[in-house]
Amino acid sequence: MRAIVIEDDLDIQKQVIDRLKQEGFAVDGADNGDEGLYLLQEYPCDVAIIDLGLPKLSGLDVINKIRKAGSNLPILILTARGRWQDKVEGLDAGADDYLVKPFHHEEMMARIRVLIRRASGWSDSRIVCSPVSLDTTTQRTYVDERELDLTAFEYKVLEYLMMHAGEVISKTVLTEHLYDDEDDRDSNVIEVFIRRLRQKLDPDEGLQPIETLRGRGYRFTLDRVKQADTD
Amino acid sequence: MIVLIVFMILTVVALERVVEQRALVAEEARLQLLIYGLLAAVDRNRAGMSITISADRLFENSLMTRDSGLYAILYNAKRQGIWRSRSITRVFPEIEQITPGDWQFKILEHDSKPYFRLAFAIHWPDVRDKLQRYDVVVWQEASAHFEQLDRFRQTLWSWLVVTIALLLIVMYLVTMWSLRPLTKLGLEIKAIEDRKQTGFENNYPIEIAPLTENLNILLTRERYQQQRYRNAMDDLAHSLKTPLAVLSGLPKVKKTDRVDLDILREQIDRMNQIVTYQLKKASSVADAKMSKPIDLVQVVGRILSALEKVYREKSVRVEADMAPAIMIRMDESDCLEVLGNLLDNAFKYCRGRVFIGSSDGAEGQMHLTIEDDGSGLPEHEIEQILNRGTRLDQVSEGQGIGLAVVADIVKSYNIAMSFKRSVAGGLRVQLVFQTV
Repeated sequence: MRAIVIEDDLDIQKQVIDRLKQEGFAVDGADNGDEGLYLLQEYPCDVAIIDLGLPKLSGLDVINKIRKAGSNLPILILTARGRWQDKVEGLDAGADDYLVKPFHHEEMMARIRVLIRRASGWSDSRIVCSPVSLDTTTQRTYVDERELDLTAFEYKVLEYLMMHAGEVISKTVLTEHLYDDEDDRDSNVIEVFIRRLRQKLDPDEGLQPIETLRGRGYRFTLDRVKQADTD
Repeated sequence: MIVLIVFMILTVVALERVVEQRALVAEEARLQLLIYGLLAAVDRNRAGMSITISADRLFENSLMTRDSGLYAILYNAKRQGIWRSRSITRVFPEIEQITPGDWQFKILEHDSKPYFRLAFAIHWPDVRDKLQRYDVVVWQEASAHFEQLDRFRQTLWSWLVVTIALLLIVMYLVTMWSLRPLTKLGLEIKAIEDRKQTGFENNYPIEIAPLTENLNILLTRERYQQQRYRNAMDDLAHSLKTPLAVLSGLPKVKKTDRVDLDILREQIDRMNQIVTYQLKKASSVADAKMSKPIDLVQVVGRILSALEKVYREKSVRVEADMAPAIMIRMDESDCLEVLGNLLDNAFKYCRGRVFIGSSDGAEGQMHLTIEDDGSGLPEHEIEQILNRGTRLDQVSEGQGIGLAVVADIVKSYNIAMSFKRSVAGGLRVQLVFQTV
């Protein structure tokens, strides 16, 4: 998953980015509204974390512009302004959730995960495409009841494919959403990961969970199991 | 004013033009008369082949006096001058061909002086009754004419300049006089800044009075807010001392030992709560008199859309039974704070249903009820929460400061708030508002 953090306080920006990277996210950061807007428009991402009090272009203006351009990107507002008036204004402008500083990073991660799942149409922390299931909170993978041993990156690839189960994901998109800028992006590495994933998920080759479409990309073939609303 | 001045200048220019034109016309007419006079004095010469002008039949004395400034010449068809007035002492240039019956009036320079020249061509029968062509030309020295015109022009323009100057002075004085109250306003503002005065005096003209009255209200309100902030700072400083004391009392540890992170986190949370609470309390307007009427139902609507976004996964069912509009005197930010906190709690702790309703109370009052189907709160906890604000040195747990802030705000607006157990199982909050 790829995240963009727009925060002018560099200490907090670093803390948030570090935490996101720890959780397996590829992250881009900006410290003002103009640069932030540019990043949002130019780079694909799965979630944006935006501070309200930004120099050059305010957080609310960035959100307004993104929404006007038709983006449905999940947006979490981080701000020191804690009055309900500010919360309502932020959500009215187009944000999906609102977190007041100072906050606990566990809470921030939990909310970000909810937003990403919501955007992919999942309302639960478990993504199930029978017989494969993913627990996004603990980042564990299961086939039926058997737990799989995946590396961090293998998990990232599988999570992305399953979040967009049924959709064709090109190698480029996969690389953009999973790699940080500084890393070497070699699309052949993706092929290696896909191969390894297939070996681990489907050793008997009976399931064929990941389909390769020549020249187009990959698709997770197993169907989603719709979760009943939690009650 | 600039328009007026421009208008005046245009008028003078037009006037000047008109006078110039009229003078020229008059001059031309005069010379025409002279030529008629000359024609009346035309006679055949002795030979009878040509004409001449009999001087004794002329009444214009200037034509007799040498260098008088007025000159007349008669030309024949061969362009030869056959008669000259006695006033001529010098040579005059020949004239161009003109059509008989046409008057030609020109302003020329000759001998470095301006001249008016009028020429008229006629046909006159000679002794054999054959028509011969003759040109009659008069020259009038024009220096005097133009000098007079210049003098007139000068007078006109100096009159204009003086008038404009006077006008400007008068307008300046009038403006200064009418702006006097504003000068006074400026002086009073300075005095208020220097703390020599606390408000504006009452003796301003009607046009300015609303301004000073409103400024006085603004000043009172700002002073009031300032005082509240000062109080909040005091409270804040005081309440922070306790968690800071706990932190500074932590045992000194060697670099290799780990600090008790739990205690750190706890105290930091507590300090955060204190700071947030005091900030919210201080930034609340908390005065119904100073607030314009707002629609309570609209505020509820805004909060509900926000909460529906945040709690989407929970799929809360909201039952609303409110009057179409409820107008109250309250600062919108404070109202959002109160209802935001209460509704957020309802959403957070409900099992799946939240109810909001309004009903009429006693005269001019409206009851607002918020209920949820969660597990509710025991009495003593409610008590504790409502008093949280004043006893923030207690360990914080559970709900946080939201309800304490709400309690503060409703108290300052004289809104009655009560908590009960709901029939649905959770908490039932009732607020009593004074409607507008």
